Amino acid sequence: MKPVPFHNERARTVTTTSITPTPSTTRSRFRWRVVDIVVASVVGVASGLLFVVWNIASTPVTDPLKALLPGLQALGGGFWLFAGVLTALIVRKPGAALYGELLAAVVSALVGNQWGFLTLLSGLTQGLGAELVFALFLYLNWRFGVAILAGAGAGLAMAITDLTVWYPGSDAPFITIYTIAGVVGGALIAGLLSWLAVRGLAKTGALSRFAAGREIAQRV
Amino acid sequence: MSGPGVVYRVNPVAKLAAALLLSACLVLTVDWVSSAVALTLEIAVLPLAGLPARTFWLRTAAVWIAAPLTAVTIALYGQPSGRVYAEFLFARVSDGSIELAIATLLRVLAIGLPAVVLFVTIDPTDLADGLSQLLHLPSRFVLGALAALRLVGLFADDWRSLALARRARGVADSGRIRRLAGQAFALLVLSLRRGNKLATAMEARGFGSSAHRTWARQSRWRGRDWVMVVIGAAIGAVAVAASVSTGQWNSIVG
Repeated sequence: MKPVPFHNERARTVTTTSITPTPSTTRSRFRWRVVDIVVASVVGVASGLLFVVWNIASTPVTDPLKALLPGLQALGGGFWLFAGVLTALIVRKPGAALYGELLAAVVSALVGNQWGFLTLLSGLTQGLGAELVFALFLYLNWRFGVAILAGAGAGLAMAITDLTVWYPGSDAPFITIYTIAGVVGGALIAGLLSWLAVRGLAKTGALSRFAAGREIAQRV
Repeated sequence: MSGPGVVYRVNPVAKLAAALLLSACLVLTVDWVSSAVALTLEIAVLPLAGLPARTFWLRTAAVWIAAPLTAVTIALYGQPSGRVYAEFLFARVSDGSIELAIATLLRVLAIGLPAVVLFVTIDPTDLADGLSQLLHLPSRFVLGALAALRLVGLFADDWRSLALARRARGVADSGRIRRLAGQAFALLVLSLRRGNKLATAMEARGFGSSAHRTWARQSRWRGRDWVMVVIGAAIGAVAVAASVSTGQWNSIVG
């Protein structure tokens, strides 16, 4: 591993933490290290807390959208979708998107919300939506385009789940608008924002034990 | 989490199972009969849970607000049928959409209320013990998630320290939204750094090794846990039976 020169505090942090020994280098890159699990969990739980805020804030924020054009409120659903994409972009392991989104949903459900057990169903399907996109690229590509696609995948999964479980018997225009809004919201909020967040996090050196962090750190 | 009521002493896995069975029954159909029957039975059973009244109303507030709002959406944009009462742009209030809206209102309450009562009384540590010992989910992941959940308690302190530090540096005085976003990002960085350290500490203590794991706290499945699951399943089954026998069953598929 190429050491990063000691320019400033930030660079120093990168060097000191990146030489922390990783237990084995012989294991497959698909195997979850302890640090992968713990950091994915921290991201999942932190996202879950944001979900809790959005559970309450989403109604006043997206209701005007709903009044403007029914179904458009799915745009705001993106704030429930970023956990999986963000976790996957940070730890880059199979199952990361599913794990992050599901854990965030568990936090959201444990605090108590109107969807009850079905919060976990949503977490599962939304996580799978993002997970499938990363799997399609064989967990090799973690770049901008794939992040956007994963966000869109999560958005599509959200639309399908919501329309089946919560809005059965809606008419065709509502279904179309809800699905498109869900996909666009997912791509922008869950995809774009997560990608930007990972770049920002990597620059602080907090991801120095991850490939996602080292790539950016070398570019600095 | 502890409290006086019996609901606090039920195994979290049993609560999850009960909530799953009940929700699964209610979610398959949108009709007012199944939801009304389930809601009535729940209102009869919920007081037995022993959740303090104040806690109950505080924690279920979101459900009471969300249910009518969801119903209004359906009333305006649900599939129209029968007489149309009002129409503007895409919204169409009709006999059919009003019936769907009432069913939706009852359904959200019937799914949400028991879930809140069951979930807010779950202690995360008990849940993790149950998930890994009874359901045999991968323990590294369950315990990792629990470790992260335990960090939440530190977030509040961190948040205050960050606010004070920003104030001292003179960067906290303008732009409320910008400041909140910046501070939230700083909190995420801080917690990721702590997560890195925590992972090292856990590994140093042998977490994640292939050695046989033993448990400090045993998660047990007792008689009352069966009772919990049976109550959940019974309410769901009665609701479905009532809905089918009155011919109101209205499947969400197709």
